Amino acid sequence: MKNKSGLIGIILTIIILVVVVIVSNISTGNLSAMEGTIGKIFMPIQNGIIFLKNKIAGNDQELSDIENLKNENQKLRDENSKLQEQVRELEILKSENNTLKEYVNLKDKYSNYTTVPAYVIQRSISNYEKLIVINAGTDEGINVNMPVISESGLVGYVISVTNDTAKVQTIIDTASSVSANISNVQDSVILKGTLNNTSILKATYIPADSTILQGDQVVTSGLGGIYPKGILVGTVKNIINTQNQSDRYAEIEVATDFSNLETVLVITEK
Amino acid sequence: MRKFKVILIIIILFFLIYFMQANIFSWFNIGGIMPNLFVLFILFIGLFVGNKMGAIFGIIFGIIIDLVIGRIVGPSSVLLGIIGLLGEYFDKNFSKDSKITLILMEAFSLLIYEIGMYVFRVIQYGAEIEIITFTLTLLVEIVFNILLTIILYPGIKKLGYYIEESFKGKKILTRYF
Repeated sequence: MKNKSGLIGIILTIIILVVVVIVSNISTGNLSAMEGTIGKIFMPIQNGIIFLKNKIAGNDQELSDIENLKNENQKLRDENSKLQEQVRELEILKSENNTLKEYVNLKDKYSNYTTVPAYVIQRSISNYEKLIVINAGTDEGINVNMPVISESGLVGYVISVTNDTAKVQTIIDTASSVSANISNVQDSVILKGTLNNTSILKATYIPADSTILQGDQVVTSGLGGIYPKGILVGTVKNIINTQNQSDRYAEIEVATDFSNLETVLVITEK
Repeated sequence: MRKFKVILIIIILFFLIYFMQANIFSWFNIGGIMPNLFVLFILFIGLFVGNKMGAIFGIIFGIIIDLVIGRIVGPSSVLLGIIGLLGEYFDKNFSKDSKITLILMEAFSLLIYEIGMYVFRVIQYGAEIEIITFTLTLLVEIVFNILLTIILYPGIKKLGYYIEESFKGKKILTRYF
């Protein structure tokens, strides 16, 4: 009896955990997927009702030649499986092509710099640290303090390196600070990572007399000796005004999608 | 031979947990917050095997974690070593047979580990101090760990007593009449 209630408890906990995980990760963009799932449940019922309706109305012609339909169905099934196989092959080719394109685009975009391409092979396993490991190291000419970029913008810099891997501190890490310029602002601001959002940076030390607008581009200032000048970091999302003008800060939406980051470039020579 | 087998099981479990933390919990998370199974694992070793083994495994596994995805070697190994030591202290003072006490021990260990790591990051690397966000993240992490502990409890108990028997021998319980 005790075992049975224990088992029920475990099953309930699993269900609660799965529901919490799904609900907490759902975003408005994912609602179309939900729509699809609900559609899958309701559409067969709807189809059945339509079929019954047609039958009652005397439209049961489609049942007259079942044998022919069966043969045709089998033929279509075979054709479908062949097409699915082709789609799978094309998907693989497409993904390979995309990765190569990313490399080429990256190389073209930052042709002024000598760069080394690399893949992200590991991400932080902690909630409070945002480091990544890439599959290039000293053998590829990578050293500590070299800046790392993606196709969309700044990623971070190398903090340690082995023969064939390097650890990168990303700009979204709370210990990171990047000196940057906002479009119309002469003086540089400091960008820091935040714990609660992996796509937002906090821009502080904004000069009191400067005007910042939503959508302004934020680029590296070149100060600090790590990042070269002019690399895109992101855009201004919000400006938070405080009573004390010097305490105001801005939220910067990063250009790089860190949750899907796969390929990066390490700038070996600025 | 049996001890060797148990050590092998512990090492395999460590790699399994590492694989889960790095791959599964990167998508199976609560609003982007992952659990920390390493703390539960080291506490488990400390509770069932003893503080020496708990501390040794805590330090070794901590060094591996620091080497693979840490900035420097030290913080994880020191804190996991402390959790290993705490295991036996908990075992002497509380009953590990109760699910509730096990959950409380786990929550307390996780608090010590994560606060320790956060303080270290603030002092050493000047990480931004965000007390409210940190507290909320930690609370969700604790709840996630508790849910996983409830799910894994029968397995923890079974394997735990097998391991305890291998290292400490069979317990003779006094019968009171």
